[in-house]
Amino acid sequence: MAESAALRSPSRPGTFARAWAKAVGGTSFLPLTHAQLEALLQRLADQLAAALLAEPFDLRPGHRVGAELVANHIASAEGLGRTVEVVQLRLLRDLGLVGDDVEDRMARLLAAVATGYARALRDRTLDEQESIRRAVMMARTQAERALRESEARFRRQATHDSLTELPNRALFTERLTDALNEPGRGAQRIGLCFVDLDRFKVVNDSLGHQVGDRLLITVADRLRRALDGHLVARLGGDEFVILVERTGGTDDVVAVAEAALAAVREPALVDGHELVVTASIGIAERQVAGTTPSDLMRAADSTLHWAKAAGGARWEIFDAERNRRELARYALSAAIPPALERGEFYLDYQPLTSLRDGSLLGVEALVRWRHPELGVLRPGSFIGLAEETGLIVPLGGWVLAEACREAEGWSARGGRTPFVSVNLAVRQVHRPGLVQEVHGLLERTGLPPDRLQLEITESTMMSTTEEPVRALRGLADLGVRIAIDDFGTGYSNLAYLRDLPVTELKVAGEFVAGLRAPAADPGSRTDERILASLVSLAHALGLTVTAEGVETAGQAERLRAIGCDAGQGWHFGRPAPADRILERVG
Amino acid sequence: MQRPDWAPETIDIERPSVARMYDYYLGGSHNFAADRAAAQAMVAAVPEAPLMAQANRAFLRRAVQFLTEAGVRQFLDIGSGIPTVGNVHEIARRTAPGSRVVYVDVDPVAVAHSREILAGDDHSVVVQEDLRHPERILAHPDVRGLLDLDEPVAVLVVAVLHFISDDDRPAEILGNLRDALAPGSHLVISQASDEGRDVEERGEAQRVYRRTDNPLWIRSRAELTAFFDGFELVEPGVVWVPQWRPEAPENAEDAERAVFLGGVGRLGG
Repeated sequence: MAESAALRSPSRPGTFARAWAKAVGGTSFLPLTHAQLEALLQRLADQLAAALLAEPFDLRPGHRVGAELVANHIASAEGLGRTVEVVQLRLLRDLGLVGDDVEDRMARLLAAVATGYARALRDRTLDEQESIRRAVMMARTQAERALRESEARFRRQATHDSLTELPNRALFTERLTDALNEPGRGAQRIGLCFVDLDRFKVVNDSLGHQVGDRLLITVADRLRRALDGHLVARLGGDEFVILVERTGGTDDVVAVAEAALAAVREPALVDGHELVVTASIGIAERQVAGTTPSDLMRAADSTLHWAKAAGGARWEIFDAERNRRELARYALSAAIPPALERGEFYLDYQPLTSLRDGSLLGVEALVRWRHPELGVLRPGSFIGLAEETGLIVPLGGWVLAEACREAEGWSARGGRTPFVSVNLAVRQVHRPGLVQEVHGLLERTGLPPDRLQLEITESTMMSTTEEPVRALRGLADLGVRIAIDDFGTGYSNLAYLRDLPVTELKVAGEFVAGLRAPAADPGSRTDERILASLVSLAHALGLTVTAEGVETAGQAERLRAIGCDAGQGWHFGRPAPADRILERVG
Repeated sequence: MQRPDWAPETIDIERPSVARMYDYYLGGSHNFAADRAAAQAMVAAVPEAPLMAQANRAFLRRAVQFLTEAGVRQFLDIGSGIPTVGNVHEIARRTAPGSRVVYVDVDPVAVAHSREILAGDDHSVVVQEDLRHPERILAHPDVRGLLDLDEPVAVLVVAVLHFISDDDRPAEILGNLRDALAPGSHLVISQASDEGRDVEERGEAQRVYRRTDNPLWIRSRAELTAFFDGFELVEPGVVWVPQWRPEAPENAEDAERAVFLGGVGRLGG
């Protein structure tokens, strides 16, 4: 019997299975080869045939066949339609199945196949919908996580230094601002340490930036470890900052600074180099109320520069008074150039008087600043500043030119016309072109060269370069007088006195001051002997000597007795405008 | 517009996805209303669209079967889409158990779905990456971890090149992949072509795909053949996909209706 053959599976695909495969092929994508498809359908055909003949008649195989078709991806509407069609038309005929109620059974079995198929397809559709929605949720979760991570990464990049992983300036400022603005904290105190490595540039320049970078990483790690609990940030370069909250006073911040100095000081092994670095620290500590982040940062930063200026490897505490002075000095130095332009400077002169006959030999030009707010300023309050900033060059140039211009107009009344003595700063002497400048001035003003004396300090000559020596020779060749100012307070190097075209020594007021005491006083006698030696030495070298700071007739008399040539000081006259000085002698 | 690298993509199921449209053509239900609407519009313009997808999928199946028979045990499937029926690892392992497969797709939903399907499978991984960045695909730790590039690898670039514009230099992309492969490796390509199609139909199809993130770039047989630069084309060369080693001669009838051209190349040396 055909049916019994059909039950003995597996069997080779028969006519029916081939026709079925042809009918459903192409209705949907099948991951099977054609041969695999035919084998599958042969198996299902066998099950249908068996069901048609089974006693008792059972619909369940029909359901199963429908479900199995779907499971094997013959799962389209067309796939079902063609299956119904081919089974209805060909199954009984192709397999030669006969029976009383076989037609009836066929209709019911096909209905079961369609039902099983539709159920399976519905389940599959629902499963797939569920699975794709789950995939969407997973993808969303993933995307959100990626977004959070990228935001966190972005935030970290924006708030941390990529080299050392320390918080950067932005985050530090944010934290400091929060700490200062947090309500109820006004009464608390807060401190900052600005840390800067000493001579870090030398490491970078001599060992390369890679070593420098690694050193910074090491220092950062150490600071982080040593100052656990305090916020340590890198401001850039080799500059770090530490936030110390809730301090009980400066001592707490000093302790932090000491710990930081100790952490930095330990030798660091970087790339086989044992590097010993030190740091300078500026400390600012104050009450939270009334301060701002920028105030506090600025204060710590200024203080750091004090620590640097004091030689490094130390901390300094902010000092409001010192800061105020520095700010004032800064403002004053900034005002020098416009003051020069507006003509706020003028000259007074102090007489240089002969101790032999009391005649006026010369006058020293002394610059004054008629400051619009501060009144008349003496050189002591701005010359040092001008020297530091280099503004002494234009200022000194103006003094020299003005002195030459005025002196040319003086005329002798009865005696020799006094020379004018002008101070030259170190920077002026070191500048090339000084000789030319003086030469030009003398030409323009018509002042005879021997009526100009230039005063230089000993330190001007303490230079390794040839420039000052050449300049002095050039000036002497012009016929200008050259005096060494403040002699006796510096190195008092006698060698250059022999070699240089110096004409006069001005002995510092300190020695002269000793002469005010009674002659019997031992200190006074010592000063007198020093002065006497200086005078005889100077005379031996063919130089004249002027004593500065002569305030009394007694001093003048003792100086004259020693053989000193000239004197300068209140005893002979205070600084005053030229006409008043000339009038007096005239 | 290209998303910047640092910005994670958004998952918008209101926007049709080419991967889910393809699933719909194949009779799957891994798709949403927007995908179905776009796919139906495509079918209205090009009635063969489902047939195209089926024919292409069948080409992939035969190609993988051929490759495993040729001894290839490693597969890099770029543009793998929604894993529905007949995935590369299933087909390959029928002949060569233990075959290793890397699936790569740019669509985050397709990737998430693939990960779920492949959970627990030690011999396959899913990587979210773009074919436009072959160097990133090749350098990806999961790719490096699973595939040994000193051994032959079959790179499958099936039904995806038509989403790569000429501005993205597809030849260069394929060249970069080729340069990373060992002798005995293979390249499988299929892509939509307009050979024998009228202009209107092509325009219609391109309009549909402009609604997705992946506009269509249709290419000629000559262009496709040129993509195999450096490879020796396996018989029968670049053909309509049903014509590529059909199981039965009648399966290759009316092959141009499949719209897809495809071929397999072998890296000699």
